[in-house]
Amino acid sequence: MRRLILTASALAIAATLGGAALADDDDETVTAWRLFVADHSAPVVKVIDALNGDLVDTFTVKGPAALHRSSSGATVFAVQGAQGEVNAIASGITFHDHGDHADIDVDDPELLHVHIDGAKPAHFVELQGNIAQWFDGEDKVRVFTEKAVLDEKLEMRTASVGAAHHGVGVPYQNHVVVSIPNPDDASKRPVGARVVDFDGNAVGEDVACPGLHGSAGSGSLYALACDTGLLLIRQEGDAPAIEHLPYAASLPEGSSSTLIGGRGLQYFIGNYGPDRILVIDPSEGENGFKLVQLPTRRVHFAVDPIRPRFAYVVTEDGQLHKIDVLDGKIAQSLRLTDPYSMDGHWNDPRPRVAVAGDSIVVTDPLNAKLHLVNAETFEESGEIAVEGKPFNIVAVGGTGKVHAHEGEGHSHDDGHAHEDGHSHD
Amino acid sequence: MTMTRLTTFAASLIVITLTSLSGAAQAETERLSVVASFSIIGDFARIIGGDAVEVRTLVGPDSDAHVYEPRPADAIALARADVVLVNGLAFEGFLQRLVDASGTSARIAALSDGIEIVHDPEGGHYHFSGGQAIFHAAPDDPHAWQSVASARVYVENIARVFCEADAEGCAAYEANAAGYLGELTKLDEEIRRAVAAIPEDRRVAVVAHNAFRYFERDYGVSFLAPQGVSTESEASAADVASLIREIREKRASAVFAENIADARLVEQIASEAGLSLGGTLYSDALSPPDGPAPGYVEMMRHNVETLTRAMTGG
Ligand SMILES: [Zn+2]
Ligand SMILES: [Zn+2]
Repeated sequence: MRRLILTASALAIAATLGGAALADDDDETVTAWRLFVADHSAPVVKVIDALNGDLVDTFTVKGPAALHRSSSGATVFAVQGAQGEVNAIASGITFHDHGDHADIDVDDPELLHVHIDGAKPAHFVELQGNIAQWFDGEDKVRVFTEKAVLDEKLEMRTASVGAAHHGVGVPYQNHVVVSIPNPDDASKRPVGARVVDFDGNAVGEDVACPGLHGSAGSGSLYALACDTGLLLIRQEGDAPAIEHLPYAASLPEGSSSTLIGGRGLQYFIGNYGPDRILVIDPSEGENGFKLVQLPTRRVHFAVDPIRPRFAYVVTEDGQLHKIDVLDGKIAQSLRLTDPYSMDGHWNDPRPRVAVAGDSIVVTDPLNAKLHLVNAETFEESGEIAVEGKPFNIVAVGGTGKVHAHEGEGHSHDDGHAHEDGHSHD
Repeated sequence: MTMTRLTTFAASLIVITLTSLSGAAQAETERLSVVASFSIIGDFARIIGGDAVEVRTLVGPDSDAHVYEPRPADAIALARADVVLVNGLAFEGFLQRLVDASGTSARIAALSDGIEIVHDPEGGHYHFSGGQAIFHAAPDDPHAWQSVASARVYVENIARVFCEADAEGCAAYEANAAGYLGELTKLDEEIRRAVAAIPEDRRVAVVAHNAFRYFERDYGVSFLAPQGVSTESEASAADVASLIREIREKRASAVFAENIADARLVEQIASEAGLSLGGTLYSDALSPPDGPAPGYVEMMRHNVETLTRAMTGG
């Protein structure tokens, strides 16, 4: 086996891989990234231009919010658990996918006139434009579309979840996968998941998943974490189908309760004890689990939507770690903030991570700022001062071409996101 | 933005190396490690490579490369590969980010290089702005393997790439390719004979995603499909209505499902057009080994038999 050494220009490589696409001479390349930052104790969501640090707008909501962005990036949801309120913000950055092209549109962000009120809103799941907002205090999960939210004409469907509990719903076209409450005590962790329709019918068999908590999507695959492994959910024909993937026998005792899903590559990362994370490639079955030891306890993690090989973890010693998903190893570490101990309440102000283009952004709530780290060099590249205690954060954006003649552009940066801003393991 | 962005360059290279750091010779006894982007290329690679190569196929049987989501294991396979065989013509939308993620130094060969490309008049999209419609073309149809003439080019390209990667094995690769090209010649004649037996006014078929333009060009069976629909998105009511009109005008004889896609859309089209489903065509993927199209030659035979049976009403 040998390799011939040839050289070719990067441009020729791109042309060969992608085929030749046409671009007009008057196309203009536009990059836009916005950070949505919620305060730890104040009822505000700030919108910050990630490229120049300018404050674009400040939206007042009812309470401190957990933030979720849709996979399209068109909408950011502010889930205010204690206030029983969910608000929706139009991000102002939208992409229109045309197969080989996507167009970018940049407008002002806007707090939409729709809000969803209910007892203890908690887990939020968006999948291909369908949204399931879970309420811990209700026995139904609410399902609606991102399009309806953006049109400000909310049409709500509900699916029964048996009894009020701290669970999760995953929305599909005509079905929802919902957690099954513990039959002895609904205040304990759910015991499994089932597929239900909007008429109160269960479809297929219940699937056991004791201690279910934590969920994430990666492309068209959705995963729920539990004590015994992951439940993997795929759309098959008309209805979603659930499959149980047990943790590899080689792993030490443990389980995941918080998941994030890869973008650009289909994988998941879960916590696995306080100071380890698990990188999971479900396509590899038993061999698809890689355990990564962290130097101290984990504070927050996020995947890189643009460099799919990497994910980032903040640990309580104030370090940001770059995780190589393929090797299952820490590739680089960088001291970024003062220590933030994981002792105390799970929701105390501690750093959160998001990726905006070439920057990894880490909130530093006790120092009223965001740290920017260059994703290529992995060196700190700047700071953005944010009044108060900047806490939860999501990023929306990408690059595209805007046509002089029509004010639209093209880009391929329209990946799928799933952030679970909520973590209390 | 790290994805290498592609602009207006006409691709003319067959083989390229992304980086040139690997040593000239590695373990001599190992087999050539080949990654094929999808099942049809995987079949060609196994036939041309024989025992001297180890082939891993990314997008497997009955799967749709247009919407494939690559896995970490795929990136690892690319990183370890000597040769990566792809279709090109923007068929593998996932490929660039997979190559980026893998950091591979493998040789990447676009097998469609050198074929006679079908320029796809419907492979674009409109932008509506200020009451004006502006068309953006995506002009190259990637589904070239549906013509045996282009499959021959794929095979020749594979043999050349294997020879460049493994000079010692070259004679065997060339012999395997020559044998297989002989089979393809017979296959091509077989298809022509079968189509000739279909009455001319019956040679109009309906499919959901038009992967058969190369077949149409070379063999004279026309295919109608909803415009602007990929396997990814639902057809709009307007798309379907205009297709039904076209079906009536052109007197299509049968509607076909595809192995890579849900049949619901074509079932709807068939029932609205008052036609029956004529069976399943294999468009962008082979069947599993126990299916009717486990290899390229079997796939083309199966498709022609399915078309013939439905169109001759037999
Ligand atoms: Zn929870
Ligand atoms: Zn296709």
